[in-house]
Order: sequence, then C-alpha cells, then structure tokens
Amino acid sequence: MIIPDSLNGALALSFIDFFLSIVMISGIGFILALFPLLNKLGKIDEDKLRQGQH
Amino acid sequence: MLEQFISFLGALEEQTGLSHFWWGNLVMIAIGATMIYLAVSKRYEPLLLVGIGFSCIISNVPGSDLILPGGLFNYAYQGVALLIIPPLIFFGVGAMTDFGPMIANPKLVVLGAAAHLGIFVALIGAKALGFTINEAGAIGIIGGADGPMAIFVTMKLAPHLLPQVSVAAYSYMALMPLIQPPVMKLLTSREERLIVMKQNRQVSRLERIAFPILIGVLVNLFFPPVAPLITMLMLGNLFKEVLVVDRLAKTAANGLMNVIIIILTIAIGSTMAADKFLTFKTVEIVVLGLIAFLFGTGSGVIGAKIMNLFLKDKINPLLGSAGIASVPIAARVAHLVALRENKENYLIYHAMGPNLAGVFGTAISGGIMLALLGVK
Repeated sequence: MIIPDSLNGALALSFIDFFLSIVMISGIGFILALFPLLNKLGKIDEDKLRQGQH
Repeated sequence: MLEQFISFLGALEEQTGLSHFWWGNLVMIAIGATMIYLAVSKRYEPLLLVGIGFSCIISNVPGSDLILPGGLFNYAYQGVALLIIPPLIFFGVGAMTDFGPMIANPKLVVLGAAAHLGIFVALIGAKALGFTINEAGAIGIIGGADGPMAIFVTMKLAPHLLPQVSVAAYSYMALMPLIQPPVMKLLTSREERLIVMKQNRQVSRLERIAFPILIGVLVNLFFPPVAPLITMLMLGNLFKEVLVVDRLAKTAANGLMNVIIIILTIAIGSTMAADKFLTFKTVEIVVLGLIAFLFGTGSGVIGAKIMNLFLKDKINPLLGSAGIASVPIAARVAHLVALRENKENYLIYHAMGPNLAGVFGTAISGGIMLALLGVK
C-alpha cells in the first residue's frame, strides 16, 4: 500500500486523486477538442455502411 | 405416542429454517418487500429493485440453499465477485449510448471530474469514522453515482461491503430527482439557471468511430485497474457507431443487457443477509453515500461557475450537476430544473456531455484510487 491507512493518508489520497482526475479528464477534453481535425481525412458514407450489414 | 409425535415434529422443525429465524430476517424481508413496492407503485428503478428485492427476501429465509456455495444465487454472486458482470453491463451501456454531446463540446468534459468531490468528502468522512482506508475508498466511490463502477471498485477494495455500497449507490441514483434540485437551486441564481446554451456542432461518423478506439487505448495505457469496464463500454459503443454490426449492437443493448441485469440484481440481493446487513456500519455508509451525492452535485455546479469566470460564452451552471454520472438521470434532472425556469430552455443534449464525462471521471478517480492503494 502506497498510502498509509490513516486520516492523513485519506486526505493525501483524496487530494492527489481529485487533482489527477481533473488533469486527466482535461487531457481527454483536449484530445476531443482536436477531433474536428479528423474530418480533414475524409468523410464516411453512412448509407454505404448501413448497406453492408453482416 | 404423543411424546413420539412431538419429538418427531421437533426433529422436523430442526430440518427446516424455522429454528434459525430471527427478527433480523423479518426486517430484511420487509426491506426487500419495500423495494418491490417502490419499483411497482412508484416506478423507482424497477429493472433493478424488483430483482434485488426478491433476492433479498429469499436470501433471508433461513434454510434457503440458494445463497450457499453451489446454489444458483451464489453462482450469480460469483459473476460479480469475479468481476465479469460489471464490465458486461458497461458493454450494453456503450451499445446504447450516444457520445456525440461529449465529443461536440469538449470544454464541458472537465465537469465530469469537478462533480466528484463528493467521493473524497465521503472517503475522508469514512476514515474519520474508523473504517479502513480500503473500506473508505469503497464507500467514497458511491459518490461516483455509477453502479457498475461502485461494484467493481468495492469488489477490489472491500468486497464485504458490496451489499451496503451497491444498495446505497443504486438507491441514491434512483432518488437523484429529489436529492439534486435543492442543492442546484441553493448554489445558483435565477439568472444563471436561465442561461441558454448555444447549439452544439454536428459530430461526424469518423469522429464517432475514432472515439471508442482512442479512449480504449488511453484507458488501458493509463488506468489498467479499471480498464475492463471502460474497454467494454467502448467496445459496445464501437459496435453501435460502425453501423455494420447492428445485430451485435442490438444484442448488447437489449438481450444481453437484460440477462446481465437479472444476474446482477440477484447477486446484489443475495448478499443482503440480515446478519451482515443490519449493522451500525450500514447506517454510516448510507449517510456517507448521501453526503457524497450532495457534495458531488454541489462541486459540479461550483465547477461550472468557476468555468464561467474564464469563458466568453457563459454555460448554464446546472450542467455541472450532471457531471456526477448516473447516466442519464443526472442530465435529465439538470434539464428539468432549467425547464422549470424557462419552458423553452432544453438543456438535455448539452447536459449529456458532462453526464457522460462523469462516467469517465468516476473511472479515472477509481483507477487512481486503486493504483494509490496498491490494488490491481
């Protein structure tokens, strides 16, 4: 166990976890903000996809 | 002859569960019956509460072999204990979820983490009450408002708390329309609740297909402890979005999902034996769970208000409350609270963004927690 089983441990765990969660999910948000760039690769024909059901 | 008859009846009683019946069983049977009543008459999470309630009743009938090793309910529980059922639920959820609102408005994604302060308030509270840090982590994750994730993390950290944690998590999720609005109104002004959001952009098919693949890779790379859940969520979503395997997507979202819900509810109810459930710890966990939901809702709203300090186009702070997860209940609550102020302010699509991000927020918090506690 990296975090000690004490109240101080719980405080440390909470602070680190909350801070890292914000950072990580902001990272996902940043990547999603770049998603429109994918559209420069081209467009998928949805009708064609639907016709190819297996 | 009479003595023989009486001793025969006594021996027969010993063979039945009657001699082991105590008031705790009666209380738990009443709780199970109440769950079924709420599901049937009030429509509170009927898909979950009917199965949990019935399984709870049967599990508290002394002498029932169903919950013992080799019993059918015990096999259902093994599906949870071996962490097979929660990822399969996420598989079905992925196949029925449109992640478009989250992709379309990435700045709202951060609300999926902001609304999880409740996890840590409950964690610290549980530790202060004398729970071990692993137990406190399992109790805290109730505030993630995500049933399968709560079960998954609890099975890793403190499996003996599964009945209390799962019942608290699912009960509060069902009660969110009652729990959240007072907090949301307390922390926002009428002007803030009246903010109308700009329409989101269209999300292309290519983006929709790339999303589950990319998230699947990222989660396995950074959060291996919770990767099974998010990976299956993304696989289900990929089936939905590629448009070429509708059969599989429909099976995951309907038939398979229904089977898994049946197994899950039986498993949860079967853990609610009176001797384990009727303790003071259960009361503490239920109270801490409520605190987690209240703080999570509040921190989400405050997170949105902090964002507004930096944004040119202000967002409706009610959206922050949807970041707590519990898809789509929390998004619907945000929508309804806004609708009460302005009948033409439809927030539902916008609220789905932070709401879905909340699922990832809970997974990330749970993953970091497991890593910091050294649990794989």
